[in-house]
Amino acid sequence: MDLEGFEAATVPHMNALYDAAVRLAGDQASAQDLTQETYLRALRSFATFEPGSNCRAWLLRIQYNLFCTQYRRGRRMPLVWLDEGEPDPALDLPSEEPGPEEQTVRELDREAVRRAIARLPEHFRMAVTLVDINGLTCAEAATVMSVPRGTILSRLHRARRRLEAMLLPELGRVQADDL
Amino acid sequence: MTCDDFQLQLTAFSLGELAEDERQRARDHVAACDECASRMLRDRQLTALTRASAVPAPAATRAAVLAAVRAEAGTGGAPAPRPARRARRRHWVALAAAMLAAAAVVAAALLVVPAPDPGSPLAAAWSSYHARGKDGLGTPSPKEAERLFAVLGPDSRPPDLAGYGLRQDGWEARDLAGHVAAVAEYRDHEGGRLSLMRWRGELPAVARAPDGSGLKAYRWGRHTSYWWRADGVVWCMVGTIDQGKLYDIAEHLGGES
Repeated sequence: MDLEGFEAATVPHMNALYDAAVRLAGDQASAQDLTQETYLRALRSFATFEPGSNCRAWLLRIQYNLFCTQYRRGRRMPLVWLDEGEPDPALDLPSEEPGPEEQTVRELDREAVRRAIARLPEHFRMAVTLVDINGLTCAEAATVMSVPRGTILSRLHRARRRLEAMLLPELGRVQADDL
Repeated sequence: MTCDDFQLQLTAFSLGELAEDERQRARDHVAACDECASRMLRDRQLTALTRASAVPAPAATRAAVLAAVRAEAGTGGAPAPRPARRARRRHWVALAAAMLAAAAVVAAALLVVPAPDPGSPLAAAWSSYHARGKDGLGTPSPKEAERLFAVLGPDSRPPDLAGYGLRQDGWEARDLAGHVAAVAEYRDHEGGRLSLMRWRGELPAVARAPDGSGLKAYRWGRHTSYWWRADGVVWCMVGTIDQGKLYDIAEHLGGES
């Protein structure tokens, strides 16, 4: 078992896996379970991972399959899922010398953005999570979700328009030069 | 192209997923239509905000997952807790003082290590350094620059190192083991080379200092690399320039980041 190789290849993607898990599972405890189970499954099948391919996409596919087969049944996305428990210091923005992106996010209230994403239908939410948040290409996201690339593009387009409508008042306050 | 056509293709256009002829038609339309230019700007703002809403894994989750993985693999090692930012800074200051005090300390901190795992970011960074950039780089396309900014924020732009006698020799976006990385090249007047790579992620396991503070240095032949992580961004600096200067730059950038 090449544990060092496994960790070197997969640990850099844990934030992405956890982010996707939170958005899929809907609460932090379930997200941790889903992330952990994904890593254990990935470890068992690491021999099938093709070096040089996108490890993040490989892990996200394992996680999405796991969610669809074992976690989805009976779950519903709570609208206040980010409010539970103590605030995590890791979620705080740096307080010193904020850049334009941080300033913009502060103005908008990141919670509002997260809640807006949480209100999207699951397939839209997952497309946004994979492509817009975690940087997969549409082709990679299509492989993760086992749908055609055009379906991902369509879901993204419709998801963005819904998000735009939900966040339009805040977007209107952002200066063009801030991004 | 009509405004309706552009709206239908806006997402594919912003993702760079249009064919070249369609992309050119979209560009031409945006150049001539203020309303669609505003739509495109709103779309960029929206995607930057969406990306910035990412939820990082809490330290407890990271520790639990790693412990489960190691137990499954049969090693059972307890994961080290993630250090606080302030602790990393103290480490920088302490190490800077020690290394500036004696060159021998610098040499002691540079480790000669075996070749890293070929799939790791560390290996990707070294491969990237050796494979590209010897003749300088260009500049990122507007789309690449936008993507870098969305991922890295202000850190995506190459820092000015003129005060260290280094001139910038181009920068670009690059894929490093699945990460979108900003890579900048510099040269000194003696032909020495410095490559600075930054991406959002975790330090490779073998590039972590023993106390977990996130600073480590490696040397292969005349090439030396420094690694650290700040605010979720991994910094990797590889170069052949004067070793003292290389460390000064690492201290300068690491202390400010």
